Amino acid sequence: MKKATGLYPGCSLEGTSKAFRTSLRSVLRRLDAQCEPLRDWNCCGASSAHAMDHELYLALSARNLAQARDQGYEEIIAPCAACYHRLVCAEMELARHPETLAAVNARTGLNYGGGIAVLNMLDYFTDRVGLSAIGEQVRQPLKGLRVACYYGCLNSRIPHAAATSGPPDAPGGATRSEYPMSMDHIVAALGAQPLDWSYKTECCGASLFVTASSVSARLVGHILKDAVAAGADCISVACPMCQNNLDTKQDAIRAAFGIGRPMPVLFITQLMGLAFGVSAAELRIGDALVPFQWRVDKGGAAAEVTACPA
Amino acid sequence: MPVAFRENINRCYQCGKCSTGCPIAEAMDMLPHQVIHLLALGMEARVRPLNTPWLCAGCYTCAVRCPNDIDVTAVMGELREKAIAAGAPCPCPDVLAFHRNFLRDLKRRGRIHELRMMGEYNLLTRRPFRDAALASKMLLKGRLPLRAPRALRGFKRWVRKAGRL
Ligand code: SF4
Ligand code: SF4
Repeated sequence: MKKATGLYPGCSLEGTSKAFRTSLRSVLRRLDAQCEPLRDWNCCGASSAHAMDHELYLALSARNLAQARDQGYEEIIAPCAACYHRLVCAEMELARHPETLAAVNARTGLNYGGGIAVLNMLDYFTDRVGLSAIGEQVRQPLKGLRVACYYGCLNSRIPHAAATSGPPDAPGGATRSEYPMSMDHIVAALGAQPLDWSYKTECCGASLFVTASSVSARLVGHILKDAVAAGADCISVACPMCQNNLDTKQDAIRAAFGIGRPMPVLFITQLMGLAFGVSAAELRIGDALVPFQWRVDKGGAAAEVTACPA
Repeated sequence: MPVAFRENINRCYQCGKCSTGCPIAEAMDMLPHQVIHLLALGMEARVRPLNTPWLCAGCYTCAVRCPNDIDVTAVMGELREKAIAAGAPCPCPDVLAFHRNFLRDLKRRGRIHELRMMGEYNLLTRRPFRDAALASKMLLKGRLPLRAPRALRGFKRWVRKAGRL
């Protein structure tokens, strides 16, 4: 077995959220993290397989888990929160119900025997890489940048999982469902200021953004409004769907809900990259439709690693 | 005789917590806890015409908050599956079209080609120019690759055995 962690990229990271993939790659390289992309992965089925065909969803996940195992990994991360949720939930279900696993294997000719741990990317950063290692890479502390960390739904809400609770100030804890802090801790390690706000884990509407856009627009409007009220300079996300929904129709949503100023929506890996001194171009900061401008103080000292207020 | 669900909905004591946290509640015909109640009483037929399972965003707020550890989100999923299996008319045809079309694209090659998937969805729902301005901005930013991802070897054959739809 390899020591490295497998990286399941998922479809969005190859398309609409290329910025997430490239910034993650830059950041992992700087952190010298042992994390390598899987080969031959398939789409997790996203909300569609899950919404319509439970057997298909389990089979798609089992195939990915089997690929990871066959490629020698014991642990994988899936940066996309939706992919992560599908994989971790399927893994739990297959582990708890051996008869279901046997049925999936029999039906699809797979030979998955369990034993792949699916880790949240934020937990990977806080627990595997470590906040101090992240802090050590900081070349341009994001001093004064006020960040509203938005976890969305699928990073933090794992049904039937014991890990949904935990001490409020523990590092990691992306899986704590009500008020996660892992991303806030990372943001603090970058020298920026994570904010206390009310919409950390409120839903952005997911695919309703396309299929019932007025319902989703209301949810997005509330999230943006609260981030503005909290005084955020930007929202940080760890999910392609969250980035897409908060960013791409923001002009119209801001007009409809009377939200005074634009709110840039960045991937947490882009913020990490900026603090590590990676260029905005390499991080594809310009891919977002709402522009983000932040003057990094050249020649700044390494950031202090402080836990942010809970 | 109540229909069986993978989740044990009989544990529900109607506290209403699932509905309190549901971000979509105000757009739903009936609230999640009311749906669970009808199901526990074996009245699935009364749930069928409701938009509730179709508008459910799958956010899992209800699932992680239920004091009786009922994954209400999974129940919503099962309701959709059962409705499709029964060939019942769908109260939210756009939602159904989106998911069907997504799965069709997935099965072509094992990965999603976002541009084609969205374009086909627009055609299916007879609004070919929906979000056209946005799509062109995304194209310019390189966020909607024109070329489809390479098909995974043997996937098309494999996926036929994988699900029911
Ligand atoms: S939260 Fe659980 S117990 Fe309470 S009403 Fe909803 S399903 Fe029933
Ligand atoms: S998963 Fe569905 S029913 Fe449950 S809270 Fe979210 S939108 Fe409402």
